[in-house]
Amino acid sequence: MALLELKDLHVSLEDGTEIVKGVNLKVDSNEVHAIMGPNGSGKSTLSYAIAGHPAYQITQGQILLDGEDITETEADERAQKGLFLAFQYPHAIPGVTVTSFLRSAINAVRKAKNGAVDDPIPVPEFRTELFAQMERLSVSRELASRYLNDGFSGGEKKRVEILQMAMLKPRIAVLDETDSGLDIDALRIVAGGVQELIGPNMGALVITHYQRILNYIKPDFVHVFVGGKIVEEGGPELAKKLEESGYKEWEGVPA
Amino acid sequence: MANAEAAVRFAELPVPTTHEEPWRFTDLRGFDPASYPVPTEAIGAAAASVLPDLDVAASAEVSEGGITIHADALPAGVRFEVLDEHDPRLYGLVGWSDKFTAHNAALWKHGLLVQVAKGVELEKPLYVRIANSVPGGALFWRLLVVAEEASRFTLIEEYASASPDLPGYTNAAVELYVEQSAKLEYVSVQNLSRETWHFATHHARVERDAELDWVAGGFGSKRGKIRIQNDLNGPGATSRVTGAYFADGDQHLDYDTFQEHIAPNTESDFAFKGALRESAKAVWRGMIRVEKDAQKTNAYQENRNLLLSDTAHADSIPGLEIMANDVRCTHGATLGRVNRDEVFYLMARGLSRAEAERLIVRGFFQDVLDRIELLPVREALGQALESRIPQAL
Ligand SMILES: Nc1ncnc2c1ncn2[C@@H]1O[C@H](COP(=O)(O)OP(=O)(O)O)[C@@H](O)[C@H]1O
Ligand SMILES: [Mg+2]
Repeated sequence: MALLELKDLHVSLEDGTEIVKGVNLKVDSNEVHAIMGPNGSGKSTLSYAIAGHPAYQITQGQILLDGEDITETEADERAQKGLFLAFQYPHAIPGVTVTSFLRSAINAVRKAKNGAVDDPIPVPEFRTELFAQMERLSVSRELASRYLNDGFSGGEKKRVEILQMAMLKPRIAVLDETDSGLDIDALRIVAGGVQELIGPNMGALVITHYQRILNYIKPDFVHVFVGGKIVEEGGPELAKKLEESGYKEWEGVPA
Repeated sequence: MANAEAAVRFAELPVPTTHEEPWRFTDLRGFDPASYPVPTEAIGAAAASVLPDLDVAASAEVSEGGITIHADALPAGVRFEVLDEHDPRLYGLVGWSDKFTAHNAALWKHGLLVQVAKGVELEKPLYVRIANSVPGGALFWRLLVVAEEASRFTLIEEYASASPDLPGYTNAAVELYVEQSAKLEYVSVQNLSRETWHFATHHARVERDAELDWVAGGFGSKRGKIRIQNDLNGPGATSRVTGAYFADGDQHLDYDTFQEHIAPNTESDFAFKGALRESAKAVWRGMIRVEKDAQKTNAYQENRNLLLSDTAHADSIPGLEIMANDVRCTHGATLGRVNRDEVFYLMARGLSRAEAERLIVRGFFQDVLDRIELLPVREALGQALESRIPQAL
């Protein structure tokens, strides 16, 4: 039984336009899968659908987490079960500090794990962990007391996404273009942070347009995603091939 | 006799209608202030407070039955006492020109004088609670505050009702004199029952180099109007008014603010934020008026509303009237909703929808809460706002 499984997944926008047109995928812990596709191919739509965004309707197929069908569950429940999406464009929440947000999120997950009974993380434990993770990911301390993503640079937002992941310790992480907006040093740090978490407790689905991030997070499997479908699958060598010849081969192929 | 003159004025004036510009969005039909008897005794237990147990220098409780003052340990130079109807400053700022101030001037019985002598500084706040308790009754309240030269203190005023659905009518008149180089922090929190018609006129005059820092919290009442006027009357005077309100059900809040710059080199900064749920409505009118001698005025006003339902509604009417030529005046008004993508972002981290919305609404108020200097008041207002966000919006 796979950790995350997509079975013939179809996703439409609210106006009925179908964007994701039947995706099959299995990700296990200890595995990194890369989904590579050109702009507009539906990568973010796929990741939103996996995370449970209400504007992206699953019209056909299933999402399974540990064999359990989560297709109909809300985003919070999916997150509580260990699913994490690092957003391509994280939202700003004015007035809510990174620290208080992270504490609320951790406590929400702990509460769900504790049979809906509050089990807040002790403050000293939280602070120790937060500062250790911030240090590891080279996130400046000052960001902890800033309002979440409010006025953050593109790079800061991406780092804070990974900081959230490191704090929440999900079992499956979906990273939507985490590489965009990061310079090479930041990319190395962030990717290193992700790589460290991959193991018996976590698998990852790395969604990207470019091969660059895959130099730092080694994929076990590469899926080429064009026009809302996986059009080719292979090992890490496929990523190299894409880097050289791009997506031309598949674009223009009628969906 | 002021009372008699005011009574005549009250009788002459009709209840305002929506044909008058200031009342365009606040319809008083069905309300007749003259029909409310004025009880002379309170009924039942005291109302609950939204403020925590504050450590205060002195306190007073006002009800239909009168005013009770606890002021045993006040330093010399501080007067915290029953207001004398012959006080020379009385009616200097709030007279009886309109229906509601006339009603107050005609009928008020219970008033408080807070006067702090030159150079006296109070560390702990002064506190007064006004609570209506008689179903269907009226309560008139009058407050006169004098911050003499270079004095510094905080006054907290809280309006409450003995029960959350008590029908009633409250009418308040507040005059604040902030004299040269004084600093007054004035906190006025209104948490009346949702069946109380509430009318209040607060008028402050701020003299040379004096500073007024005002916090207005609005949670209760059915309908009415709260007027806030600040006169920047001496060079170097500054005033800052921070408003936070939350209404739901069929509550209708109306704030009418007036920043009157009379002297040069004065500054005023008014920021009001509100969240509205169900069929609640808010009206905010802000007028900045800069007289011709008030050069180098710096005035700011903003009103931001967050609508938490499709049936909530807010009207913001900013206004500028500028007679001087070397001034800086800015204003802004926005109307927003809780954004679905933001809610999703938080839910994708494991927060329930209700928790996500609560965090977003709390965050919306954070910048106005951050303006409140007194930490316990800031926290209490934050909690009062938060407690109004229900489990599921
Ligand atoms: N919320 C939305 N509203 C309208 N169109 C959308 C929305 N989300 C995605 N789309 C459209 O769906 C297609 C796929 O977009 P997206 O999933 O963002 O692709 P990618 O992430 O691969 O660049 C694009 O044509 C995009 O304009
Ligand atoms: Mg995308």
